[in-house]
Amino acid sequence: MRYDSITEAIGNTPLVRIDPAVHGLRHIDLYAKLEMLNPFGSVKDRAAWNMARSGLPGARERGATVVELSSGNTAKALAVIAGMHGLSFKSVTNRMRIPEVKDLLLLLGAEIEELPGRSECLDPTDTEDPLTLFHQRLNQSGSAHLHTDQYFNALNTEAHQTGTGPEIVADLDGRAPDWFLACVGTAGSSTGVGRALRAHDPAVRVIGLVGQKSDFIPGIRNIDEVHAVGLFDPATYDAIESVSADDAIDGMLALVRRCGILAGPTGGAAYRGAVRHLKPIDAELTGTDRQSAVFIVCDRVESYLGYVKQRRPELLGRPPARNSVTALTDIEVRAAQVIEVADAQKWLAAERPLVIDLRSSFAYAALHIDGSVNIVDELFDELVRGGMPFSKRQPVLLACPVGEQSARYAALLTRMGHPDVRSLAGGIIAWRDAGAPLVRD
Amino acid sequence: MDTGPLYLEPRLAPRLAALLGSAPFLHMLVDALGSPLNVLLPDQAAENAEGFRSVYRRHRLGGHVFFAHKANRSRSLVRRLTTADAAVDVASLGELRHALGDGFTADRIMATGPKDPAFLWLAARSGVTVNADGPGELEALAGLVRRHGLPRPRVLLRLCEFENSGPRMLSRRSRFGTSVKALGPLLDLLERHRDSLDPVGVAYHLDTTSPDEKAIALEGCLRAMDDLRLRGFQPRAVDIGGGFGVNYLAHGAQWDRYTSELTAAVMGRRPPLTWGGHGYGLHSEAGTLRGALSLYPAHRPVAGAAYLDALLSQPAPTLGRPLGTLLLESLYDLYTEPGRALADQCGLSLARVLEVRHRDAGPAFVRLAMNANDVSLEDHGILVDPVLVPRDGEPAGPQEPVGVHLMGNLCLEADLITRRTVFLPRLPQPGDLLGFANIAGYCMDFSATSAQQQPVARKVAVRQEGGAWRWCLDDEYWPIEEYRPITDSGGQA
Repeated sequence: MRYDSITEAIGNTPLVRIDPAVHGLRHIDLYAKLEMLNPFGSVKDRAAWNMARSGLPGARERGATVVELSSGNTAKALAVIAGMHGLSFKSVTNRMRIPEVKDLLLLLGAEIEELPGRSECLDPTDTEDPLTLFHQRLNQSGSAHLHTDQYFNALNTEAHQTGTGPEIVADLDGRAPDWFLACVGTAGSSTGVGRALRAHDPAVRVIGLVGQKSDFIPGIRNIDEVHAVGLFDPATYDAIESVSADDAIDGMLALVRRCGILAGPTGGAAYRGAVRHLKPIDAELTGTDRQSAVFIVCDRVESYLGYVKQRRPELLGRPPARNSVTALTDIEVRAAQVIEVADAQKWLAAERPLVIDLRSSFAYAALHIDGSVNIVDELFDELVRGGMPFSKRQPVLLACPVGEQSARYAALLTRMGHPDVRSLAGGIIAWRDAGAPLVRD
Repeated sequence: MDTGPLYLEPRLAPRLAALLGSAPFLHMLVDALGSPLNVLLPDQAAENAEGFRSVYRRHRLGGHVFFAHKANRSRSLVRRLTTADAAVDVASLGELRHALGDGFTADRIMATGPKDPAFLWLAARSGVTVNADGPGELEALAGLVRRHGLPRPRVLLRLCEFENSGPRMLSRRSRFGTSVKALGPLLDLLERHRDSLDPVGVAYHLDTTSPDEKAIALEGCLRAMDDLRLRGFQPRAVDIGGGFGVNYLAHGAQWDRYTSELTAAVMGRRPPLTWGGHGYGLHSEAGTLRGALSLYPAHRPVAGAAYLDALLSQPAPTLGRPLGTLLLESLYDLYTEPGRALADQCGLSLARVLEVRHRDAGPAFVRLAMNANDVSLEDHGILVDPVLVPRDGEPAGPQEPVGVHLMGNLCLEADLITRRTVFLPRLPQPGDLLGFANIAGYCMDFSATSAQQQPVARKVAVRQEGGAWRWCLDDEYWPIEEYRPITDSGGQA
């Protein structure tokens, strides 16, 4: 495969059969359309390219900024496309909750504006929602913007109607699947693919999957939010069902660990939603009566590790480290050698112990004990994990804000064999309150 | 379409639940003192303050929890908080006089909000901390201090328009505070008035439920504290304002269901849930949902002290460490100003049912001896059901859930207690009471007036003693032992 531009690599994604041993359906062949293999990483590459393509030359002449309300994948694709064409890109959203995606967008050169949260005290003078204000600003004359408008732009749907849908039919040897199941974000892929499949065979059933209201699954809207999408038409779907964040992660794990498909949570939600919907139907089918179903894997897992960590920390669990403060007993911590401020001042003058300040560099830079060294607790934790970070003949005074954390590390270093580690009793706060000098140098 | 009754049952802490369960006691109070009647639970405020203190302790932070007095005019709440580990922030001359007169000493009072000269003068005269809105107020204060030979007041600088590098977080515009971009000139001013003003720290108050915006502001304050230090001041406190929220509803599922049905009603897919099809900010344009739901998020899984805990545990946007850790490490005290959250579960408004009017079509009208100003749930966008307190026990026979409209006692079309259809487990009868629970924060007396000469609710403070409820007028409440019979021991110990 040879291309002149990366945008030519958009589309023609593989359709992969999921092993029946994984999903357990006996009469339905389940296929994943791997939109995650688009060049910028998601199903949104198609819509972004289709929406932006024709406007790019004009935008370049006007020096326009490409603008979209996007929390992730559309922004990612548009940022790349804009950059390739010498344009800047700006994303406005109140839904961007994935830090990795934010960072990636910044890396791609995007400007991100996050909309404010809700008012704590209702303000009756606030008559417009932030999105309306945003649209008003865009529509002001003289502003140079190329607004791709994914939630209302027919070119979004068209990308799937002419691309994704027909590809599925072609890969199924010219037959439309019996079922098509898709998560609803902009409704572009579900509507476009649904239309293409039904044009081929009106009997295709389309299931829309939305997020549970109190949950958050990246890329999916909930049942109320979809009504705010111009492309959303309830008539497109034979049924709308909701999926939870737990479903999304469970599904993602199945795809990642058992199918070798490195899907993100939205793909996981589509997979789980599909299997759940198809299970009872499969049970009714008999004999040689085979059906087929397709769901979309819209992006990749890598960006969502923080999301998983927050909800299922055990999936990313590490074994407890050697030399860790978490392994200390209360008795050991209580036995740690502590030194009161006045005694510490004398000790410092007489024996010049190494003073280690465990606070953040921000706090240390502002005020600290003269001559002390700043090793932030997180770094210190890593250091001691590997072994004693200084000579045992060097006496050490550990200091933290209130003397709790330093006592734990003093206990740990004592356990590791250091003969003279002390913790500053009451910490830097006691030091300050005793009137002992703190410097900023 | 969901055809069942769309309840929004209030979350009730044990004390408030027990009070609502004491129907004869509540009827006795309303019979004696009239409808509407406001009932306050000062002990609950003390318990709430303790909840905030425990978050301070968890993060090893010192400082004050200031009750935002404007949330409720009650005297009993303020007096009870004098005996708790709490302070008070006052937003007017009247509130300051009240706080001083009811037992708060100056070291536990902070003056906030827009200030007139008399308010500033009394603040400086009495030695309370002044949370200054901007350079004008600082100049005025310094002038008063010099002209009248007043003690040097402690001041906090209220800042706003904090910016983040990387993704830009937009914030609702505020009329209050000084932009952090203009901190330089503000510090110049303080240097000029070094003898008259004692800057003890910086402050922000953002009107948002978003912890991300607050995290940006808090980090901005930490940096501003550094700027104060560089000018040779010794700032000690960061005031992060209030806005920690209250969870009003017992069941998140009811809230989810209600708002989904409201959306469906706005989209025309079900009959309206409100008087006149009001959409609470939502409307339908060519089949697409537009606008934003202008309602308080009545079900909030993380609110009050737990919200503060979450905020302090959140990493600072650029410094990376948890915000609470950064405050502690920088040796700063934390000031908070919870109003609504400290008044959580502290009050109840009672209204007598006067009439139940059936209509041929649509929900019945229930007319109350109360008007929309007495319980300003609607003004604050809070949707929560009243609790039915029957007069003569539950009536016999099967009970049918009903949807009703709650009408007030003013001859105004607009005087609906709430614009939504309220669902009750049965139709109330004249003489029953409706109890609006948990409205002590901003919804009890914030907009109460004597318009049309309808009675303004009287206030009583109640507390549990043994198994019984004791009550007194709110004005008569003092947080001390009740009068005991004087026993004359004849000079013998």
